[in-house]
Amino acid sequence: MALRATVLRHIRLPVQTLTAIGSRPQPQWSFLRLFSSHDDHLTKEEVIDRVLDVVKSFPKVDRSRVTPDVHFQKYLGLDSLDNVEIVMALEEEFKLEIPDKEADKIDSCNLAIEYIYNHPMAG
Amino acid sequence: MSGATTAVYLARRAAQKERVRILYRCALKDTLNWAVHRHIFYQDASDLREKFEANKHVEDLDTIDKMIAAGEATYDKWRHPDPYIVPWAPGGSKFTRNPFPPSGIEIVYDYGREEND
Repeated sequence: MALRATVLRHIRLPVQTLTAIGSRPQPQWSFLRLFSSHDDHLTKEEVIDRVLDVVKSFPKVDRSRVTPDVHFQKYLGLDSLDNVEIVMALEEEFKLEIPDKEADKIDSCNLAIEYIYNHPMAG
Repeated sequence: MSGATTAVYLARRAAQKERVRILYRCALKDTLNWAVHRHIFYQDASDLREKFEANKHVEDLDTIDKMIAAGEATYDKWRHPDPYIVPWAPGGSKFTRNPFPPSGIEIVYDYGREEND
């Protein structure tokens, strides 16, 4: 123990000051797998990425017009039935079960991202 | 007369549109329950969409009501006896599998230590 203490006292590590960007805890945890499902919620960026992927892979949608706050019917020119199909695709992607009344109200990417992010069981 | 009826007309149309959307959603889920393989599901989903699109232009409220009722009857007739429900949802296999213990109950971690130790 004494040898260890003397060795440690003589090894000097360079002091790392925080860079100008500032401390960013978020990317450090990206390699940390949380095995308990209690704290394992999706991050907002992950939700946004997956929702946009689902919307972009819809055949009637123009890929370049999709942004995180796009309205399905007004901006992408989709039908109300297409809206239903997109909500079903999101349900399948995130393994959710959205009740019919709630699913009817999801009209835009914004609402979809908020709903999925706030859902406790979003996978 | 026209002012009141257009508001009532629009309200009825909006309610009908919502019923149609919910019917389409339930019918699509049911189609996925019956046609498990994806390529068959895509074909059946296109057929279902064609059926809905064929009646898109109808304007008369009573005809629309009758068609929605007929559609819901067809949906009830074709409902799958064992639908896929997400496990944690009501009806799924994991629903209330591990309920939360009542509050005030907790585990005492004394590892079997007794009082006279």
